[in-house]
Amino acid sequence: MGRAWIGGKPAALERALAAAAGLLAASRCPLIAGLGTDVAGARAAIGLAERIGGVIDHMNSDALLRDLAVLREAGMMAITPNEARLRADTLLLVGPSLEKEAPDLRRWLGLGSSGNGGGATNRSLVRLCPGGGATIPGERIVACDVNQLLVVLAALRARLAGRPVGKSGIPAKAIEEVATLLKAARFGVAVWSAVDLDALAIEMLCGIVADLNVATRFSGLAIPPGNNATGVLQACGWMTGFPMRTGFGRGHPEHDPWRHDGARMIAAGEADCVVWISAYRAAAPRWPDGLSVIALATGEATLGRGPAVQIEVGQPGVDHDGVEQCPALGTLVAVAATRRSETISVADAIAAIMAAMPGTQVAA
Amino acid sequence: MKTRIAGGRVIDPAHGRDGIGDVWISDGRIIEAPPPGTTADATYEADGKIVMAGAIDIHSHIAGWNVNTARLLLPEFHRAAAMRPAATPLSNAGWSTFATGCLYAQMGFTTVVEPAVAPHYALHAHLELADTPIIDKATLAVLGNDDFLLGLMRGRESASAIEDYVAWTLDATRSLGIKVVNAGGSLALKANARQFSFDDVVSQYGVTSREIVKTLQRATHGLGVPHPLHVHCNNLGMAGSDATALMTIAAAEGLPLHLAHLQFYGYGKEGARGFSSAAPRLAEAVNGAKCVTIDVGQVMFGQTVTISLDTLRQFNARGQARPRKWVIREDDANGAGIVPYDYRASDFHNAVQWAVGLELFLLIDDPWRVFFTTDHPNGAPFTTYPEIFALLMDRDLRAQQIAALPADAMAVTTLPAITREYSLTEIATMTRAAPARLLGLADRGHLGAGAIADVAVYADERDRAKMFRAAALVFKDGELVVRDGVVTRYRWGRALAVRPERDRAIDRCMTRYYEDRYGLSDAFLKVPDHAVGRPEPFELVRCAR
Repeated sequence: MGRAWIGGKPAALERALAAAAGLLAASRCPLIAGLGTDVAGARAAIGLAERIGGVIDHMNSDALLRDLAVLREAGMMAITPNEARLRADTLLLVGPSLEKEAPDLRRWLGLGSSGNGGGATNRSLVRLCPGGGATIPGERIVACDVNQLLVVLAALRARLAGRPVGKSGIPAKAIEEVATLLKAARFGVAVWSAVDLDALAIEMLCGIVADLNVATRFSGLAIPPGNNATGVLQACGWMTGFPMRTGFGRGHPEHDPWRHDGARMIAAGEADCVVWISAYRAAAPRWPDGLSVIALATGEATLGRGPAVQIEVGQPGVDHDGVEQCPALGTLVAVAATRRSETISVADAIAAIMAAMPGTQVAA
Repeated sequence: MKTRIAGGRVIDPAHGRDGIGDVWISDGRIIEAPPPGTTADATYEADGKIVMAGAIDIHSHIAGWNVNTARLLLPEFHRAAAMRPAATPLSNAGWSTFATGCLYAQMGFTTVVEPAVAPHYALHAHLELADTPIIDKATLAVLGNDDFLLGLMRGRESASAIEDYVAWTLDATRSLGIKVVNAGGSLALKANARQFSFDDVVSQYGVTSREIVKTLQRATHGLGVPHPLHVHCNNLGMAGSDATALMTIAAAEGLPLHLAHLQFYGYGKEGARGFSSAAPRLAEAVNGAKCVTIDVGQVMFGQTVTISLDTLRQFNARGQARPRKWVIREDDANGAGIVPYDYRASDFHNAVQWAVGLELFLLIDDPWRVFFTTDHPNGAPFTTYPEIFALLMDRDLRAQQIAALPADAMAVTTLPAITREYSLTEIATMTRAAPARLLGLADRGHLGAGAIADVAVYADERDRAKMFRAAALVFKDGELVVRDGVVTRYRWGRALAVRPERDRAIDRCMTRYYEDRYGLSDAFLKVPDHAVGRPEPFELVRCAR
């Protein structure tokens, strides 16, 4: 069970679920946003979106879709963090936000220690445009402005191909040294976060990885965005064929990264009812006045202007069992509840809302 | 509740049956025909129609991380277009698990095996399979590029230690059998090898590809797993790869062994372009090796995407991607490669590939040992099956298509000279009776009393493609799910899995291994029922031991 509110006032869960169903049934352009949930929650949300002709988006779609844009324009080489730790003799860490986006990065990669399973020792480590944080023994730091990264990566790729380069914002000697280190790799891994890089810079970095494979081995590790974005992506992929930012307004799934951008839909006044899902405690954006919001959020999640209906949901792997992306393994795993509670899960809340909607039929 | 399918031509090779008659169903099972005068609760007239058991596909990449990444790589290939049918949500999504289940069911297929599941990705595969409606399914777990197995081999551990690990893997991943994909090849690629053959050594472990295949073959057999080791050989797709396939067939040495998508190894080096059909040589070898089964992996012309755990092959093929984008993932074992490809009828090599597949179908004598696959989607999407049935059953149709292909390509094959035509009984053997036997599914693939009531009824059309594309009626577990080629309702199938006996000491050993190597619980590798999200998602298949 758990707590629920209607118009900011405590309400019985059943009443709140029924109120949510009523709001959705009356909506002409519903948006299911946030989507910070486990696979069961994502499946339920996608089923709901199909049922009501809504749009699904995820709070970390901006970063996720930058990586995906490169994937579907140019392709990509990828490696799991575990294999990177065990295999890589050369690491190229790009961008200032890596450790913010992946607090366990040092453990994943065995940085500054032998790591689990005795990861490769005597590594070459290059940090390009690093953020703060403790130094790592043996690292080679190449500082630059984050906005210069595309130019620096382009210069590096050119030097790796033996072409001359002009000014890139960092000394030519530094570019040369990094190129020499990368070429000397037996198995290198480039690590980035799409939070730092735009799609062009990611494509340039992936191009460096692909080029290096002509002579040696190299791969890439994109830090997955938070709130189980990649887990939700997988469910979205197999259920609709597409990533998030997919809408069912015309009865079948249509993917459009611009048209179905939830923040844009809210700002433009297109969405008239928003289901905000946040089971991993992420804060909600500020919603404009008059927007009808149904929040399915953990008790601790910060919510913006009071939602019309709020239902407290459990956190996967804490309040209830679930399936989510395990970044270290790079795959979906089953997680057991660590502090099992009666708080309703996102999946169950959505199922209850759908059951309370008029004309209920078999759900996907 | 008794259901009667009345007056059709019942073709059931498992029981040598081919004649007009009835099929009776009760409580989801086929039953003996009740005494004359018994009235059925529901009767479906099958006069002039063909009645077969539901078809079984033993090798089709329909679920898992690799398939899903192909979806995300190629959004332009699967635009959805139709309005949503109310009873079958998401079945109109261009390339979804929902569409997969519906498309298979419409053709009369009721069981499909996803043959390439890396153990760490098993839960993902099962989640997708659980969202694949109507059909039952199964996975094959892939070993042979994994540190633990090769570590056991390097340490000269006993056969029983290896069997315990294989049994643990089957249980953890809820799989029906074991597959090996380019044994050692992915490890070789990680060490920057660009080529790897059957007797090459995996440098870090000091074992050969042959030794890995033999080790897994013996372990699978020793555990009594019904499905023999499923082998994806080295050197896929290369001119001269027939030699690799012949070596692998010879290495079966009397124990059961299944070679997957043999077409992709059916290439000799003869002819002006150094690329020719070696299908006659391979077919002869298969005909002579009674312990060996194969599936074909037929190529059909058109755009598709190749999805494989053979990273070495996919890495080497990346330059041939059409369109020019591809994914190579490396992980703790095999990894995966996704390379889109467009087979063109005007292309010499592609035309030879098309012919090689058909030659294998037609030159291997025994329909119990040659299995019907396109290695979906690698040779062609499974939606091309009806056209392939038609080609196998009609030499005139083949002649028409051969005439439209490059003459120099047809000249390096024997296809134009082959007159054999498959009968409906042979089609039913190859797609029903034989797969059930190969997978150890005693209550499938036939219409005898006690069998699961998976039944496909087809109009007996002269146009065999039309006939097999849209079944008139399909029953799954006795329930009508397709009428006139259209899915009328969803039901949720199960995944078939084996659980051979093992010494439980391996469980403690695996817990330690995962903690030491990954710093993670081995619980992460397991597929618990509750995670799959459907009631009773698995069905246990019995092992011989």
